[in-house]
Amino acid sequence: MTGMERVPMGPPWSVDLIADLHAGVLPPEVAAQLRPRVEADAEASEVLRALDATLEDLHSLPPVPMPDHVAARIDAALAAEARPGIAPVVSLSDARRRRNRRLGMGGGVLVAAAAAFGIVLAVSPGAQQPPANDAAPAPTSKQSEAPPLALKRDELGSAVGEVLGAQNYGPLETPDRLTGCLKGGGITSSGTPLGISPIDLEGRSAVMAILPAGLGKYRLVVLDPATCGPDRQEGVLADTTVGQR
Amino acid sequence: MTAAASSDADLISAHAAGDPYAFSELVKRHRDRMWAVALRTLRDPEEAADALQEAFISAFRAASSFRAESQVTTWLHRIVVNACLDRMRRRQTRPTVPLPEAGPGEPVAPRDAMSDRETSLMVQQALMELPEEQRAPIVLVDIEGYSVAETAQLLGIAEGTVKSRCARGRAKLAKVLGHLRNRIADANVPADGVNVQEQRQWEGR
Repeated sequence: MTGMERVPMGPPWSVDLIADLHAGVLPPEVAAQLRPRVEADAEASEVLRALDATLEDLHSLPPVPMPDHVAARIDAALAAEARPGIAPVVSLSDARRRRNRRLGMGGGVLVAAAAAFGIVLAVSPGAQQPPANDAAPAPTSKQSEAPPLALKRDELGSAVGEVLGAQNYGPLETPDRLTGCLKGGGITSSGTPLGISPIDLEGRSAVMAILPAGLGKYRLVVLDPATCGPDRQEGVLADTTVGQR
Repeated sequence: MTAAASSDADLISAHAAGDPYAFSELVKRHRDRMWAVALRTLRDPEEAADALQEAFISAFRAASSFRAESQVTTWLHRIVVNACLDRMRRRQTRPTVPLPEAGPGEPVAPRDAMSDRETSLMVQQALMELPEEQRAPIVLVDIEGYSVAETAQLLGIAEGTVKSRCARGRAKLAKVLGHLRNRIADANVPADGVNVQEQRQWEGR
């Protein structure tokens, strides 16, 4: 600062110059000389008032609360980050890429094992066997290209890292169908699940949905797409909450 | 730890010491403000959500190295703003997705009257017309209430640059919002006796 800055002549002054004066951009000694002259000029004063009104508009913008589904998603990502054994979610795109890769690789290994040993899938001896349902229609569309994640009933929690962030409704096809199936189990859920993906539950085609259950907790609901519906509680194959106590 | 009674700095310390709930509590306290910054800076709700998630995870990991020289909120804000700026840089060649008319997360019911709601929609719309380099400082200084010095620190630019970008942005907004009559706004010529270069020197760019 030299102290020798010239005070801009006027009126008229440019809007940019008046905005600079208004925002405190000009050197203090220049601003001190310019301000009374600007305020004495009707047109320049009008610009100052317009800038004040603009600031008032900006100050009075209402707060923007974070939508519940975004809050739930971030809670879930942080909880996954905090839980040992679950790969942290860095970004949605990374999560999507990782999920797709893992589902593909995991499924490939299972298919290879099944082919080599002539078995379908391991089933825990104590696990409750779902009733046979020969009449169940085959899923009609949107099947995952990779074989679904194979799980036992007592290891549903281990699938959180895989399913979190997935939005593959599989044979359920639509969010409305999911809502109906959850309703059948007396589960009220609004909005998009934190994750949803077809799975193979002890040899049975199913869909796992992850719902928010409070800070750092997930409600894991496994549905039988062949039988679930708004009036059919038996379509809920498993319903458990995992995460922080 | 009683989260509700703890300061932000206590929560960071508790997190570093292994408290599994401390960081989530910190996020819960500040997420609305961070959401507003991300949404108003990036304009696209999906991108805002991605940026916030990225920022919070990154803060989660870096929290143990947090030093109490700055406020926790400033530190958190810096991480969020950086995540937004990164996304803005990455998407510069892509068209932006405009906010829906009501704006995601905007209160469904107007605070007072319909005119308040209309004004706020107009202001939101006008903000979208600003170049990103002007919108970010306007959001932080004029909407979020950060000082020029804090904003300069958050954005990594000189204080003079924050002031001049705010000045340019406000002048544009004043015109878009109809506070400036066109005759005045259009007569935006350099004043006699001062050249453009001198004016630019004051801007601290």
